[in-house]
Amino acid sequence: MHGRAVVVGVGESRYYKRGEATESEFQLACIAIRNAVDDAGLTMREVDGVVSYMERNEPVRLSAALGMGDLAFTAQTFGGGGNGAGAAVTLADAAISAGYARCVVAFRSLAQGQFGRYGQSGRSRRSRGAGAFTVPYGIQTPAQICAMQTQRFMHEHGVTQDSLAEVVLASYAHAQRNPRAIRFGTPLTRDEYHASRWIAEPLHLYDCCPENDGAAAIVVTTPERARELPCAPVAIVAGAHGLEHRDGAGAFNEPGFPTAHHRHVGQQLWDRAGVKPGDIPVAQLYENFTGPVLMALSEMGFCEPGELNDFVADGNLQWPNGRLPINTSGGNLGEAYIHGFGNVVEAVRQVRGESTCQVSGVELSLSVSGPGYAPGSAVLFGKV
Amino acid sequence: MGALPADWGVPELTDANRPWFTSGALAVQECASCSTLIHPPEEVCHACGAMSFGTRVLEPRGTVHSYTVVHYAANRALADAVPYTVVLVSLDDAPHVRVIGNLDGPAHIGMAVVPYWQERTADDGTVVLLPQWRPAEHE
Repeated sequence: MHGRAVVVGVGESRYYKRGEATESEFQLACIAIRNAVDDAGLTMREVDGVVSYMERNEPVRLSAALGMGDLAFTAQTFGGGGNGAGAAVTLADAAISAGYARCVVAFRSLAQGQFGRYGQSGRSRRSRGAGAFTVPYGIQTPAQICAMQTQRFMHEHGVTQDSLAEVVLASYAHAQRNPRAIRFGTPLTRDEYHASRWIAEPLHLYDCCPENDGAAAIVVTTPERARELPCAPVAIVAGAHGLEHRDGAGAFNEPGFPTAHHRHVGQQLWDRAGVKPGDIPVAQLYENFTGPVLMALSEMGFCEPGELNDFVADGNLQWPNGRLPINTSGGNLGEAYIHGFGNVVEAVRQVRGESTCQVSGVELSLSVSGPGYAPGSAVLFGKV
Repeated sequence: MGALPADWGVPELTDANRPWFTSGALAVQECASCSTLIHPPEEVCHACGAMSFGTRVLEPRGTVHSYTVVHYAANRALADAVPYTVVLVSLDDAPHVRVIGNLDGPAHIGMAVVPYWQERTADDGTVVLLPQWRPAEHE
C-alpha cells in the first residue's frame, strides 16, 4: 500500500553549533522552507499547508513573511519531543490524501542558542504533574531520563557499552563525508568515545545529541502536481504514530519500561507498508541518545534485543559495508540536532540518490523519530 | 553523594499527591472503586474510569529496578551535588509501582533498599517529606 502523497522538495538552513547562528530561529525556518520549495520547483504561493511538531514559529507568521498562498491546513502533533518528526510527515500525507491541501510544508526549526538549551533545566522551585516525582530528585533532562531507560535495557539484554559506541561511530563516520555536518572534519575513535566524560551513566558525552541551531523542511504534494515538477518524487509509503495503553503513565511507570515506544509503531508501519524490516536497506534512527536508538532498532523489528550486540558490531551500522547503515548524513550526533527533522530529510535523499553516503539501489528508506518518548513515530519513504 | 540540597525544589502538592508527599509512608493512590494502585497519581482510574481515590500504605521495602549516576549538573544549583545517584525503585509489595529517589553510595540493579524521608520546605512554608532510599543491609 503506497500513501497518496509524495515528497518533491527538501531543504535546510546552514547548521550551526548552539549560539553561532547569525540568523534568528524564525529566519532559519524561513530559509529552510524557501530552500525546500525552491528545490521542488514550486512557487511559495502554491504552499497551502504547514505542519510541524513542538514548533514555536507558527504558520500564521511564516505564511505572511514567506508569501505563501491562502493556507488550507495547519497542524502539529502532540507529545513533547523529536518523536513528532515522522508524525508531522504523516499529517502532511493525511492532508494531501484527504484533499484538505495540495502543497504542504513539513518542517522544524530549533535555535537553542536563542531559546535555551535542552541539556539544561530551570531551577523549578515547584514541580508539577509527573515531574513532581522526578525533578525533586534531580531527574529533569532528557539525558537523565534516557540514562535511566538505557541502564535497565542494557541490564535486561546484556547490551554492552561498545554497542552504544557503534551508534556514535556510525554517525561520526558518515558526517566525515557530509559538508553540511557540524562534525565534518572531526572524526571520532572508539577510544575517544570511551574516554569521554559521563553525563549520566551509562551515557557518555558522545552518547548525547548536541545542542544546535538550524532548520530543515520538506515539501509534500499530490502525485498529479509532482508529475509537472522537475525532480523525481519520493513516495510516502507508510507512516505510523502512536503509543500503547499506559505508555504515558509518567515517572518511569509505563508497563513496558524500558521502551522506545516503537513496538506498536513498528507493527503499524510494517502492516501498512506490506514489507518487513529485512527489506529495509538504510534507516535514519533519531539519536537523542544512543540507548534509545538500540531500543528502537529492536522494537522496530530489526532484531531481538538480545541480538543487538551482534547486529551492530564491527561497523555493521556504517556505510558502505554495514548490514544496515544508519544516520547516513551524520544524523543528530554528527550532522546537526534539528530535533530530528534532518533524519527525515536524509531519508528522502536516500531515495533520491543524493546522500553523501548513498546506499545503492534504495527502494525503501526508513526514518524513526524520537525513541524513548511517547508517542513514537516512523515514516517509510520509497520509490514512486 | 546522596540526597540533593534541602533548598532544591519541592513537588507542588495536589489532592492526588498530598498523601505520598506528606505522610512519611509509601502511601500509594488506590482507586476507591476497583482498588487499582496508580502511580504517579492520576485524576481518573485507568482500570475502571472512577474518579475517587484513597491510599494504600505499602511496606517500606523495594528493589532497585534501574539507576543513573548524574555527573553533569543540568542546573548550576546542583553543581556541588554532582555526582549524585538516582534510583528507580520497584516496591516489593507492588512491583509495577516504581518510585524515583536518591541513594547515598553505589547502586546496582536488584539491590534491596528501604526508604527514609527527607524534609524540604516550600516557599510558602509547606513541609513535604520526600521518600529517599538507602541499602536495606544498613537496617
